Amino acid sequence: MSASPSSLDELIDALRCLPGVGPKSAQRMAYHLLQRDQRGAARLARAMSSALEVLRHCERCNTFTEDTVCQRCANPRRDPSQLCVVEMPADLAMIEQTQSYNGLYYVLMGRLSPLDGVGPRELKLDKLLARAGDGSVREVILATNFTNEGEATAHTLASLLGARGLTVSRLSRGVPVGGELEHTDIGTIAQALVERRSV
Amino acid sequence: MALKQRIEQQPAWVLHTLPWRETSLIVEVFSLEHGRAALAAKGARRPMSALRGVLMAFQPLLMDWSGGGEVKTLIRAEWRGGQPLLTGRALMCGYYLNELMLRLTAREDPHPQLFAAYEAAVSALARNEHFELVLRRFEVALLHELGYGLALDAGEDGAVRPDGRYRYIIERGPVAMDADGLEWVDGACGEDDLPLSGQTLLDMAADDFSRAETQIQSKRLLRALINHYLGGQVLQSRRVLKELQEL
Repeated sequence: MSASPSSLDELIDALRCLPGVGPKSAQRMAYHLLQRDQRGAARLARAMSSALEVLRHCERCNTFTEDTVCQRCANPRRDPSQLCVVEMPADLAMIEQTQSYNGLYYVLMGRLSPLDGVGPRELKLDKLLARAGDGSVREVILATNFTNEGEATAHTLASLLGARGLTVSRLSRGVPVGGELEHTDIGTIAQALVERRSV
Repeated sequence: MALKQRIEQQPAWVLHTLPWRETSLIVEVFSLEHGRAALAAKGARRPMSALRGVLMAFQPLLMDWSGGGEVKTLIRAEWRGGQPLLTGRALMCGYYLNELMLRLTAREDPHPQLFAAYEAAVSALARNEHFELVLRRFEVALLHELGYGLALDAGEDGAVRPDGRYRYIIERGPVAMDADGLEWVDGACGEDDLPLSGQTLLDMAADDFSRAETQIQSKRLLRALINHYLGGQVLQSRRVLKELQEL
C-alpha cells in the first residue's frame, strides 16, 4: 500500500503520460515541481489548461491553431496550387526556415505505422484527401521522413492522390549539401546510386 | 540462468523499434544464430547518432551486443549492404513479414533456416518479385520451421493424387474427400472447410506457387493456419492494408 497522499500519487501518475517518462522520472518531476518550483508548476498548469481549451486543428492544414483557419493558410500571398505534406509541425518549421517554399502545407500529425496499429483511420487521411481535392491544389509535395514509416506514408498518399488526378512529387534524397562521399554513410550512398538522375 | 555473453558480427535484421527513455530505442531483431532478441540501443534517437539511419527494418545488418538479461545492450550495428530499401507495396508486404515474426517466434530461439527464408523473402521483395508468391513461400517456411506442422500428405499411405480432392483439417492435415465418407459437391463446402486439390498439395510441397488455383487455395489455407496459431490476435499490418484498400 502506498503511504503518500493520493493527490501526489495522481500527479506522478499523470506525468507518466509524457513520452519517455517512467515511474522514477515522474516521481522526480513531481517532487521538483512541488518542492523547488511551485511557481513553475502553477504556470505549467495554467498553460496546459489554456492550451487544451484554446488550441484546435486548423481546418485546412491540420496544424495547431487558435483560429478555425491558421494564419499561414489564410495568407493570400501564399501559392494555393502547391500543398506540402509533412508528418509533424517541427517538419513544417524546418521547411519554412529554408525560405524556398511559398505554397501551403498539410500536417499529418503522425505517420502510417502498421506494426503500431496506426492506419489511415488513425491518421484521418480522409481529411487530407478532401483538402487536396478542393480544386485549387495542383501539386502535392510529399515531405514525410525517409524512414520506412515515412516511405510507407508517402507511397500510400502518392497512389491515393495520383488516382484523383493530382501531380504528386516526393522530396529527393541523397548525399547532403556540402557532403563528401568519403564521410557519408554507405546506406545513403547506396540509395543515392539507386535514385541517381541523368544530368 | 542466462550467461552474460558478448555476441559479435552477428547477421541480423531489425523487425521493429520502440522509443525507450528520452533518447534510446528498444530494437527487436532477428539474428542468424540467436534468433529473435530485444536490444537496447542507447542514444540512438539523438540527432547526431550514427545509429539513426542504420537501425531500420529491411536492411541487412551486422550487430554486436552483450548482456544476459531479457533486453541486451547493442554495442554496434553496421550495414551489410547489397540491397535497396523496400518501397511501395513491397514495404507493406515487409511489415506483414515482420509482424508474423514478432507474433509467432519466441525470443532467443535460433532458427537459421528461417533466417535464410526471411532474408530470401526480403531480398525478393526488394527486387519486386511477385509479392503473393514471396509471401506464400515465406509462410510455408515459417510454419514448417516453428514446428506447427504443415502436413501436405494425406491419409495412411500419405500419397496425394493430383486429381484428388481434399479438405484440410487444422492440426491434422489434408483428408481425401471420399475417404472421409463425405460426398464432394462443388460449392457445397462451408466457410470453415478448406478445400484443396491434390495438385495444390503437391505444388505446395514442391514450393511451386505458379498455378492460379494453387495460389488461391494455398492463400486461404495458410491464412486459416496462421490465424489459428495467432490464437485470436489481430494482425495490425493486415488491418491497415485492408483499410488502405478501402479508401
